[in-house]
Amino acid sequence: MKKLLFIIAIIVFSACQTSTDQAEMQTSNNPFLQEWDTPFEVPPFNKIKDAHYMPAFKKGMAENLTEIDAIVNNPEAPTFANTLEELERAGKLLSKVQRVFSNLASSNTNPKLQELQRELSPLLSAHYDKITLNEGLFKRVEAIWQARENLDLSNEQRKLLADTRKAFVRSGALLNEEQKAKITEINAKISELTTAYGQNLLAETNGFELLLNDTDLGGLTYGVIAAAAEAAEQKMENAETEEEKAKYKDKYVFTPHRSSMYPFLTQSDRRDLREQLYTAYVQRGDNDNETDNKEIAARLAKLRAERAQLMGYETHAHFVLEERMLKTPAEVYDLLMQLWKPALERAKVEVADMQAVVDQEGHDFKIAAWDWWQYSEKVRKAKYDLDEAALKPYLSLDNVLNGVFETTNKLWGLTFTELFDINVYHPDARVWEVKDKDGSHLGIFIGDYFTRSNKRGGAWMSSFKGQSNLDGRERPVVVNVCNFPAPVGDAPSLLSFENVITLFHEFGHAMHGILTDVTYGSMAGTSGPRDFTEFPAQILEHWASEPEILKSFATHYETGEVIPDILIEKLLKASKFNQGFANTEYLAASLLDMDWHTITAEEDLKDADAFEAASLAKIGLIKEIAPRYRSTYFAHIFAGGYAAGYYSYVHSAVLDSDGFEAFKEAGNVFDAQLAAKLRTHVYEKGSTEEAMELYKKFRGREPKIDALLKVRGLDGSTD
Amino acid sequence: MRYLKTLAFCIFLFSSSVVFSHPLDELVILDIEEGQITFQNEQMAAEYKAALKRQRMRKLAAMTWQEKFLLFIQAGIEHIIPKGLDHILFVLGLFFSSLILVSLLWQVTAFTLAHTITLALAALGIVQIPADIVEPLIALSIVWVAVENCVLKETNKWRPLIVFGFGLLHGLGFAAVLSEYGLPEGNFISSLLAFNIGVELGQLLVLITAAALVWFIRKKSWYRQRIQIPASLMIALVGIFWFVERVFLS
Repeated sequence: MKKLLFIIAIIVFSACQTSTDQAEMQTSNNPFLQEWDTPFEVPPFNKIKDAHYMPAFKKGMAENLTEIDAIVNNPEAPTFANTLEELERAGKLLSKVQRVFSNLASSNTNPKLQELQRELSPLLSAHYDKITLNEGLFKRVEAIWQARENLDLSNEQRKLLADTRKAFVRSGALLNEEQKAKITEINAKISELTTAYGQNLLAETNGFELLLNDTDLGGLTYGVIAAAAEAAEQKMENAETEEEKAKYKDKYVFTPHRSSMYPFLTQSDRRDLREQLYTAYVQRGDNDNETDNKEIAARLAKLRAERAQLMGYETHAHFVLEERMLKTPAEVYDLLMQLWKPALERAKVEVADMQAVVDQEGHDFKIAAWDWWQYSEKVRKAKYDLDEAALKPYLSLDNVLNGVFETTNKLWGLTFTELFDINVYHPDARVWEVKDKDGSHLGIFIGDYFTRSNKRGGAWMSSFKGQSNLDGRERPVVVNVCNFPAPVGDAPSLLSFENVITLFHEFGHAMHGILTDVTYGSMAGTSGPRDFTEFPAQILEHWASEPEILKSFATHYETGEVIPDILIEKLLKASKFNQGFANTEYLAASLLDMDWHTITAEEDLKDADAFEAASLAKIGLIKEIAPRYRSTYFAHIFAGGYAAGYYSYVHSAVLDSDGFEAFKEAGNVFDAQLAAKLRTHVYEKGSTEEAMELYKKFRGREPKIDALLKVRGLDGSTD
Repeated sequence: MRYLKTLAFCIFLFSSSVVFSHPLDELVILDIEEGQITFQNEQMAAEYKAALKRQRMRKLAAMTWQEKFLLFIQAGIEHIIPKGLDHILFVLGLFFSSLILVSLLWQVTAFTLAHTITLALAALGIVQIPADIVEPLIALSIVWVAVENCVLKETNKWRPLIVFGFGLLHGLGFAAVLSEYGLPEGNFISSLLAFNIGVELGQLLVLITAAALVWFIRKKSWYRQRIQIPASLMIALVGIFWFVERVFLS
C-alpha cells in the first residue's frame, strides 16, 4: 500500500512538473520567443533547453503563415516592396529556431533531438508546401514579374524576383488543374518510393555482418580488432535471446559500413573474407529479397521523367540543370567524358602496379575489386614512403588555424580575435570575431573541430545567423564542424594532412558565409547552385598545399622546427596517389546518375541491373572498380537531392583548379588584384548573379579543365 | 509536391535558413553509410570533461599572469571548500585533537609544509604515484588522526611528524586535482603558488569556522565526551567508508 501511494505521489509530482515545464517552455521563458541580447546575437545556448524547440517551431510556423497571409491579403497593388521584400522579412522566428535546431541536431545531438528531427521533418515539409503552393502569393509575384520592365529594379532585385517566380513555376504554378492533379499524384508516388528505397538500403546495410573468430584476424591492427570486438559486444547487449547472445560471444563483427569495411579491406590478409565483405557491400539492395531496390530505382527514374515531361522538359536532368551552372545534360556529359578517359587510363596503370606486387609476393591470382584497398596501400608505401606519423607533429590544430587565418589575412586583410566570454553549445566549440581590413566587424566564426560521440561524422559548414542589409547591416554567425581526433592528455591535437585540407575546405565555405554582402538574406553566402557553391571552399584548399604557406605554419609542436622540404615534396607527390581509382569510381557513378535521369517516360526498362550494366559497358568501366555507388544503393540520387547532380563535385573542382591557376599565372598566390576580384565577385556575391557570370568576372573567361587534370595527376605526368 | 519543394523552393527560402555546405540529405546518407550514432553516456561524460579542461586551458593562455594568479587562488580555495571534503575532514581531525593553540599550530604547519612539498614535486612531474594508491591512503590518514583523537587524551609528541607524513599524501591528492584542472604553460610557478595559497586559505577557513563553533563550549567539562570524541568517531567512520569505497568499489 505504502509503495502504491509512493508511486502515485511520484506520478502526480512528475505530472505537475511536466505541465509547469510545458507552460514555461511555451511562454516568456522560451529563449526563441525573446530578443537575444547576447554579444553579436550568438544564440543564448546556455538558456536553450530541448523542450523549447517544439513550441518555438509551432509558433514560428504559425507566425510565418500569418505573415504570408498578410502579404497576400494586402489591399494595395503588388509591388516589389510589399511582396518580395515582405517575403524576405517573413519567417524570422522559424528561421531562428530552425538554424539552432538543425545545427545542434547534427553537432551536439541526443536521442531527444533525433526524435524531434523525425517529428519535425513532415511538419516543416507541409509548412513550406503551404507557401510554395499558395496561389494568391504566386499571383502577386507573377504580376510584379509581368511588370518588371517598367519597374526601376536593381540587378539584385531583378534576380530575387526571377528566382522567386521560378521557384513557384517549378512547383507547378503555371500548370492547369488537371496537370497539377497529375503532378501531385506522381509526387505522392515518388515520395513513397523514395522512403521505401531509403528504408530498404538501411535494412540491407545493417543486415549483413561478417562474424569472425580470433583465428580470422590475420593482418588486422589492434585498433581495428578492438573496434570489431566492441561491435560484437554491442550486438550481445542488444540481443534478445540467449541463443543470439551466445552467437556473438568472443566474436568479432565487421559490417558494410565504411568505417568498419575499409580498414578490413585494407588490412586483412584473408582474401576470401575480403571478398565476402566487399561483395555484401556492392550487392546491397540487389539480393532479390523483400528489401530489393532494383525495381524501385527504375520506377523512380521513370516517374521523374514523366513529371519533367509534364512540366515541359525533355528529361528530368533538363529540369534539374536549368538551375545549375552547367545548363544541359550535354554540357555535363561533355565535362565527365573529358575526365573519363584519362582517369580510366590511370586506373589501368594502377591495376598493373598492384598486379606487380601480387606477382612479386608469389601469389597466383589476378587483382580483383576486393583487393584494391590492400594492394594500393602496399604500392603507396613502396612508391611514396610518406610516414603520416612523421608529418603530424608539424600539423597541430593551433598551427593550422594560424595558417588559415594568415592566408585570409594576406588575401583580404582579415583578422581573427578569439573571444572567451561567449556562451557556446559545447566547450570544444571556439569563437572568433572576424574583422575586415579597416577593423570593421564582419561576422562571428565558430570552430568545433574535435570528434565526439554525439556528433555526426564528416565535416560541414552552417550558420546560426544569416547576413542581410535589408533592414540595417546584419552580420552573420557561421560555424565549421569537423571530426578531427581529440587531443590525448595534455598534448595538442595533431592533424593528418587530409584533416588540414578539410579544415581549409570548410573554412572556405565559412568565408563564403562571412564575407557575403547582399541586401536580401535569402541570396546570401552559400545559397547558389550546387555545382558552384563548393568552388569557394575547394579553391581555398590549394593554399594549404603551397610549400611557401605550409612552411609558414607547419612548425613542430615540440621543437618549433619548420617542416622539412623533403617531407613537403613527398606529401605533394602522395596527393596524386590512387587518383585513377578515386576518379574512375566517382565518374562512373556520376555518369550512371546522368544516364538514369536522361531517360524518357517511355523508356522500356524493368529493373536497374540491366540498365546499369549497359551504362557501365558503354563507358568501358573495368571490372576491378565498381561505381562509387551502384543503382541499388545510390542514396544521393534515389533518396536524396542529388539526382542529375552527382557531377557537382567535379564541376566545382574544375572551377577551383582553374581559379587557382590564375594566381599561379600571376606568379603570386597572394596577388592583390586577383584576391580582390575573388572577394568581390565570388565570396561577397552569394547568388545575386548567375554563377557563370560571377566566375567570368573573377577569371576573365570561362573555366577550362586543364588545370584539374594536372592537379589530379591525370595529364600523364604521374609515374 | 514534396519533391519539388526540396528541389526548387529550398534554393530561395529554405537554403538561406539552413545552409549546409554538405546538405542535410547528405548527412542522412552518411547515417546509412557510416551507421547511426549510438549514445554511450559514460564516454560522453568523459569527453565532456576533457573538453571543459581544454576550454579552461585556452582561456588561461589568453590571461595575464595577475588574472591567472587570482584565478588559481580561487581554484585552490574551491578545491578545499566545497570540493575537497576529505581534506576538510582531515583538517577537522587535526582540530579535534587538541585545543591547545601551540599543538594545533605545529600540526597545521607540518601538514602545510608537507603537502606544499609533494604538490610542487608532483606538479613539476618529479614524483608520480598513481591515484589508486594515494586516494585510499588519504582515507586511512583521516581514520588514523580521528582514532588517535579518541584514544589519546593528550596529543603524543610524534603527532606533528605523523601529520607531516600524511601531509605528503594529501599534497599528492591536491596535485591530482590540479593536474585535472590544468596548469598554464606560461606562469607555471606563479599559478602553482597561487593554487597553494588558495588551499591554505581554504584550510584556514575550515579551522576558523570550527573554532568559532566550539569557542564557547571548549572549556566545558563535557567537551571531550560530547563533542571531541563523537565528532572524531564520525570522521573516522567516514574515513573507513571512503577507504572501502576506494579500494573495493572503484
